[in-house]
Amino acid sequence: MLTCKGLGKSFDKILFNDFNLDLQSGEIVAITGPSGCGKTTLLRCICGLEDLDEGQIMLDGRDITNTLAEERGIGLIFQRPVLYPHLDVKGNLKLGAQDCDVAATLEEVDLSGFENRRVETLSGGEGQRIALARALLAKPSVLLLDEPFSSLDEELSDKLLSDVRDLLKARNCPAILVTHNHDVARKFADSVISMM
Amino acid sequence: MRWLLLEMKSKNIGLFAFFIYTVLVLVPLWLAVDRLIWIVGYDVIDWIQSLERNYVSMGTFQFTLLQASISTIVTLAIGIPIAWQLGRYKWPHDYLIRSILTMPFVMPSIVAAMGFLHLIGENGLNIRSNQGTWFATLIVAHAWFNLSLVIRFCEPVLSTLDPQMEEQMLLLPAGKTRLGRFRYLWLPLLMPSIAAAACMTFVFSFTSFALVRWITLGENTLESMMASIGSSAGINGYMISRNEIILGSSLIQFTILLLSLWVMSTLQHKRQSRLPKASESIVKKKNNSGWLIVFPALVFAILPLITLVISSFRIRESSASGTTYSWSTAGWEYAFTSTNSLPSAWDALFNSVGYALVALVIALPLGWMLAQYICDLEKLKPRLARILDVFTMLPFAVSSVMIGLGVMLGMIRIDAEFFYSLWLTPALAHVMITTPFVVRIILPALRSIDPLYDECARTLGISKFKRFFKIKVPMLRGSILIATIFTLAMSMGEFGASWVVTRNSDWTTLPIMIDSLRSIPYNNSLTAPAANAVASVLMLIALILFISTEKFRPRRDGGMF
Repeated sequence: MLTCKGLGKSFDKILFNDFNLDLQSGEIVAITGPSGCGKTTLLRCICGLEDLDEGQIMLDGRDITNTLAEERGIGLIFQRPVLYPHLDVKGNLKLGAQDCDVAATLEEVDLSGFENRRVETLSGGEGQRIALARALLAKPSVLLLDEPFSSLDEELSDKLLSDVRDLLKARNCPAILVTHNHDVARKFADSVISMM
Repeated sequence: MRWLLLEMKSKNIGLFAFFIYTVLVLVPLWLAVDRLIWIVGYDVIDWIQSLERNYVSMGTFQFTLLQASISTIVTLAIGIPIAWQLGRYKWPHDYLIRSILTMPFVMPSIVAAMGFLHLIGENGLNIRSNQGTWFATLIVAHAWFNLSLVIRFCEPVLSTLDPQMEEQMLLLPAGKTRLGRFRYLWLPLLMPSIAAAACMTFVFSFTSFALVRWITLGENTLESMMASIGSSAGINGYMISRNEIILGSSLIQFTILLLSLWVMSTLQHKRQSRLPKASESIVKKKNNSGWLIVFPALVFAILPLITLVISSFRIRESSASGTTYSWSTAGWEYAFTSTNSLPSAWDALFNSVGYALVALVIALPLGWMLAQYICDLEKLKPRLARILDVFTMLPFAVSSVMIGLGVMLGMIRIDAEFFYSLWLTPALAHVMITTPFVVRIILPALRSIDPLYDECARTLGISKFKRFFKIKVPMLRGSILIATIFTLAMSMGEFGASWVVTRNSDWTTLPIMIDSLRSIPYNNSLTAPAANAVASVLMLIALILFISTEKFRPRRDGGMF
C-alpha cells in the first residue's frame, strides 16, 4: 500500500536517515520518539509538504516522491485543529468533498447539529473531530496524524483516539500516528516504530 | 518537480510585478532626475547652493523645517491627551467618537484647506491677512490633519494593556505615584508609538502642499516652491537655476523623508514587539471630566467640515451700500455648470472617478503581487526580501509634487504632445502614489496568514487555483477591501501630483477644480461657494469610503491603516 524506502532528511542536523516503512491496507502504525527527533518532518515529507533529501515513497505501486501534496491522496491531521475561520463547520467540511452529506458526517463524529457553528466557538476536541471528518471526506489513501489530541486532557484524548481508531478501521483506511507517548501509541496502533 | 515548476511560475509573477513597478513608478522619476541633470550638470554642491542663493528659496528650507517641527509638537500635544482619554476610559458611542476623531486623516488635503480657509478667511474670522494668525492657522490645520495618526498609533497601546500590569506597578515602590507609573510603565510603552506618530506627522507636514498653498500668504515650503517653479523646469537653456533649485530641494527632501521613514520603520518594528497582548474586553471606567478634552476635540474635528458645507450655500453680494450675505444653491449650480474657463464639476467628477478606477485596477493587483513576492521571499531569502520591501517604500520618500514633476518631465523626455493630450496620463501619478500603500496594507495581512491553512488545504487535495479563491482571497478580504477603498480615496483626493501634471493638460479632477475655482479673482461672488460645493462633494465621497474602511480595520494593530 504505502512504502517508504530509505527516506532521509536533515536541516542543521540529521533528522532521520534510511527510514523504511511498509504500511498495509487498514493497518495503523504509530511512530514514537522524543520531541525534535523529526517525527513531524517525516509526516510532512510523506504527505509532500516537505521535500526529501533522499529516498522513495510508493503509494499503491506508483512513485509519489515528487508528486505535489495536493495530488498525493494522503491526508494529514495537524497538532492543532486547522479550521478556516471564514467558513462555518459546514463550509469547512465541504472543502473535503463538495457533495458530502454534512449531517451524516457530523453524526459520525458525534457532532450532530454543528453544521452552522462558527469554528471559533468550537473546543479543541470538537475542532479536531471536524478536521478529522473533513480529512476522511477527502477519501485519503493514507491518513497521517501528527499528535492530534496531545493538547487535550488524557481522558478525552483516550476517548477520541479510540473513536478515531474505530472510524479508520471501519473504513479500512491505513494510518500513521506520531506521538511522544508510548502508552497512546500502544493503545491506538497495530504496531509501533521508535525513532531516536 | 512540478512543485518546483509552480514555484518558478510564482517567482516569475513576482519578478514581472517588480519589473512593472520599476517601469511605472521609478522610471518616470529617473527620467525626471536625468533630464534635470542633463540641463544643469552633476554638481550637487551647486544644486544646494543655488537653492540657498536664489531669491525664490531664501528661507524656504528653514520655514519648511520650522513649520513641520512645530506642527509635530502641537499635534502630539493635542493628540496624546485625546488618545489617553479614548484608550483608558469608557465612552458612550465609542465607535462614533473614534471614527469622528480619526476621520480628518482621510480627508483630501484640499478639502481641509478649504475648510480652514473659510474659517480664517474674509467670510469667516477674517484673520488671514495677519502673518501671526496664518502661521498659527497652518500649524493648527496640520494638527487637525495629523491628529488621527497620534490617536491611531497610541490608543491601541492604552486600550489593550493588561490591567494586571498597572495593578502590579501600583504595588511596587516605583509605581506608588502617578508620575512614577507614567515614567516606568506608560512612557516606555508609549514611546515607540509616540515617536512613530511624530515621524509620520513630521513627514506629512514637511510635504504638505494644499494647506500651505491656501492658508499661508506668499510663504513657501520646499514642496510648494517646487510645485510653483516646476512648470518651467526641464527646458534646456531656460531658467537653468530653477532646475538646480528643484534638484537641490528634492535631494534635501528625499534625504529628510528617507531618514524619517527609516526611523519610523525601526520604531514600528520595536513597537510591534512591545504591544501588550491583552483582551479587548477589559472593563473600563467612565470619566465624566474627560469630556473637557473629548468634546472640544470632536468640535475641532468636525468644525472645518461643517463650515465648508455651510459656506457652499452662503453667497456674498457686494453693492454700493456694502457687503451682504444670502443663502442659496447658486454656488452648487455654478460648480455643476460648465463655463468658458472651467468645465463642470460633473466632468471633474468623471475624471476623478476614472483616474481612481484606473489607479485601482493597476495598483491593487500590482501591489498585491509585490507583497506576495516579498512575503514568499522572506522565508527563503530574508535579506533580499528586506531590500525589496524598502524598494517598494521608496515613493514614500518622494513627495507627491516630486512625483508629479517626475511624470511631467518624463513626458517631456519621451513625447510631451502625446502625453499631455492623453486622458490616462494623470492616472500614472496616482498609480505611483497608491501602489506603495497597497503593498503596506496587503503585506502584513499576508504575513499574518498561518501557512498551516495552505498546507492543510493541500493535504485535502485542493488545487492551487481553488486554494487562491476559496482560502486566500476570503482570508484577505478585509485587507483587500481596505486597500481598495484606500486606493480610491487617495486617488480621488490626490492634489500635489495632479496639480503639477494637469496644469498643462485639459483634464481636471475634483481637487484641481476646487483649486481653480478658488484661484479665480474675488470679484465673482460664486467662485468661493462653488469651490466649497465641490469640496463638499469630495468630502462626502471620502467620508463614505472612510466609513466603509473602518468596519474592516483591525483596531488592536494601530498604525496608519
